[in-house]
Amino acid sequence: MPHSAATPDKDKELTKPLEDLSFQEFFAAADAMLLIDHDGFILQASHAASAMLGYAPKAMNGLRVEALMPERYRNQHEKHREGYNTNPIKRLMGNGRNLIALKHDGSEIQLDIGLSPLMIKGQSCVLISFHDSDQRLQAEEALRTSEERLRLAKRVAGLGVFDYDLIHNMMRYDTCIRQWWGIPPDQPMTYDMLIEGIHPEDRHIRLEAIQRASDPEGSGEYKIEYRVVNAIDRKQRWIAAIGKVLFHEKKPQRLIGVVQEITERKLLEQKLREQRNEMSALIKSQVALQTASAIAHELNQPLAALSAYSEVGLHIIEHPPVDYDQLRRALVGTITQAQRAGDSLHELLEFLQHREFAREATDLNALIRDALDILHHDGYRAFEAILELEPGLPPVMANPMQIQKVLVNLLSNSIEAMRNANIPEAAIHIKVSTNAENRLAQVTVQDNGPGLTGETAQRIFEPFFTTKPRGIGMGLVISRALIESNGGQMWLEPESPAGATFHFTLPLAA
Amino acid sequence: MNDRRPTIFIVDDDTFVRDALQLMIEQENLDVQCYESGEAFLEHCPQTNNGCILLDVQMPGLNGLALQQILAERHMPLPIIFLTGNGNIPMSVKAIKAGAVDFLTKPVTRSKLIAAIETALQENASILKKNALAETAGSLIAKLTVRENDVMQLAIAGLPNKEIARKLNISFRTVEVHKSRIMQKTGAANLIELAGIVRESAGS
Repeated sequence: MPHSAATPDKDKELTKPLEDLSFQEFFAAADAMLLIDHDGFILQASHAASAMLGYAPKAMNGLRVEALMPERYRNQHEKHREGYNTNPIKRLMGNGRNLIALKHDGSEIQLDIGLSPLMIKGQSCVLISFHDSDQRLQAEEALRTSEERLRLAKRVAGLGVFDYDLIHNMMRYDTCIRQWWGIPPDQPMTYDMLIEGIHPEDRHIRLEAIQRASDPEGSGEYKIEYRVVNAIDRKQRWIAAIGKVLFHEKKPQRLIGVVQEITERKLLEQKLREQRNEMSALIKSQVALQTASAIAHELNQPLAALSAYSEVGLHIIEHPPVDYDQLRRALVGTITQAQRAGDSLHELLEFLQHREFAREATDLNALIRDALDILHHDGYRAFEAILELEPGLPPVMANPMQIQKVLVNLLSNSIEAMRNANIPEAAIHIKVSTNAENRLAQVTVQDNGPGLTGETAQRIFEPFFTTKPRGIGMGLVISRALIESNGGQMWLEPESPAGATFHFTLPLAA
Repeated sequence: MNDRRPTIFIVDDDTFVRDALQLMIEQENLDVQCYESGEAFLEHCPQTNNGCILLDVQMPGLNGLALQQILAERHMPLPIIFLTGNGNIPMSVKAIKAGAVDFLTKPVTRSKLIAAIETALQENASILKKNALAETAGSLIAKLTVRENDVMQLAIAGLPNKEIARKLNISFRTVEVHKSRIMQKTGAANLIELAGIVRESAGS
């Protein structure tokens, strides 16, 4: 700004503005501008102005401004200029559009021209700024085209754009965001309304993502999915949001991003997941059934023979005279078949137990987070997970898949129990600690559900014992077996302070 | 009716089950023959129609239900008692619908098994009796000429002679002659007995 750079002293002395240093700098740097005096003589021309009209630098100084326009406009312009002097206000010349100027070489050029009155040392001057109309039109055209393209792209992609100024709490957004959130057109949409539209269970997802993105050391970017409940029709939509936090001096300033509706994709995913879960439940029950059938078949044949031999023996005794050879044959048969039944059972168990599985150094904290993610994906959302993980937990020696299965089993049991008991603020406390002396890590999973007491608590690890209407009662049996085959132990806290509390241990990796 | 003594055929893949069941059934003074598979049973297809089959459901190769179907197609008169390790309801319903006498789960008690065998042998006897009657009746009917057979069908349907004559386009007198020949050849004393013979012959 010329005036702020000039001292008041110099302002007073300004008899020859052409010599003023600040003006020179200003004119060198600025756009195409002319400074003319009250009588229309050019006092100063910016480099850009000289260049645009084809004059050498300073060659225009002292010219009448009418010299810069075709003859046919000159007389008229003098009148306009006098008219302007009587009412000097900042305005566009000829409405600012497409005025014709004469270049030094005699050719004509279309300009947009603006006029600003300026008092310099008691003299009334006019600052004329101008630029090439063609360039402006091109720029306007380019902007219109690019806006049109963006609008089209957003519509095709079903995208909504938002721009939130964190400093001034101002938000800009697309109409589709309004539609999804259900904000009437006559109501201003605030940032709070954006948050309120998000499903209560999903708000924390967004909050956590933005907190992470607000770390000036990070990328500032986030990518999340959440549900939005329409304020008008209560319809639920799935929304994917990609955003970026912009920083100024390491402070978050702006949050910009796009949101996209992904309801259809989500519903499809959910359907697929349900099918997969149903399939896996079906397979599980089939495995149980087939295993039981295999055992039944292996045992039934010897038992059938054993039973028949015994009855043969009994019949011999009850129908004298006793045929001892026949009796001996029946008894030997009985013994052989009882032995055979036992052998079959042991062979079968050996076969089932000798499945090799790999154990590796495993991050227990990460497994717990994975298990929570899996549950979230499977639709178990209505609970709060309170994690009390030991930071810097040494790795445990375990098969990660198996331990993950155990965690998912324990957590889903808790969630279902709390849901069935209509616990309003369902929460699961997951604690991990290490016992350096025993070289063990211990995981404690405690819910605030109705808990397990009496016979239920006694029998909870029994095969086929279940409290669920459609359970097969193998979850905890298998979980405990998996923990034990990984070298740990699993038990139910007999005196849980609240809800049900399960513990399991795993050996630390060497 | 080849033999007077019935035979119990045991078809089971387990040697010891066969052995123990054989001992038990022989104690009831019944003859027993054992086969280790459905295929073996079919191969040495027994010459007797007198008895019943004790059939294991789960066998490698031809299973019990498949063997039952083959025997039904061959009009084997031996009733079947199924034995199974883990009998489920749909499987037993299928077996019973296909004509099985009983569906027993292993291990089976002596009393249940013997009761089932007795039922099966009664069923076998009644089948054989029906077959024998059908055979006799069939041979009597076979003596009739084509025209006599036509007259007989209309007569046992309850048509009076006049109506039969009109239908077959023959004289009333001719119908009377045919009828008396029919009675003579079949040995039936009246129309009711004649209808009975026709019914028996259809049973074979």
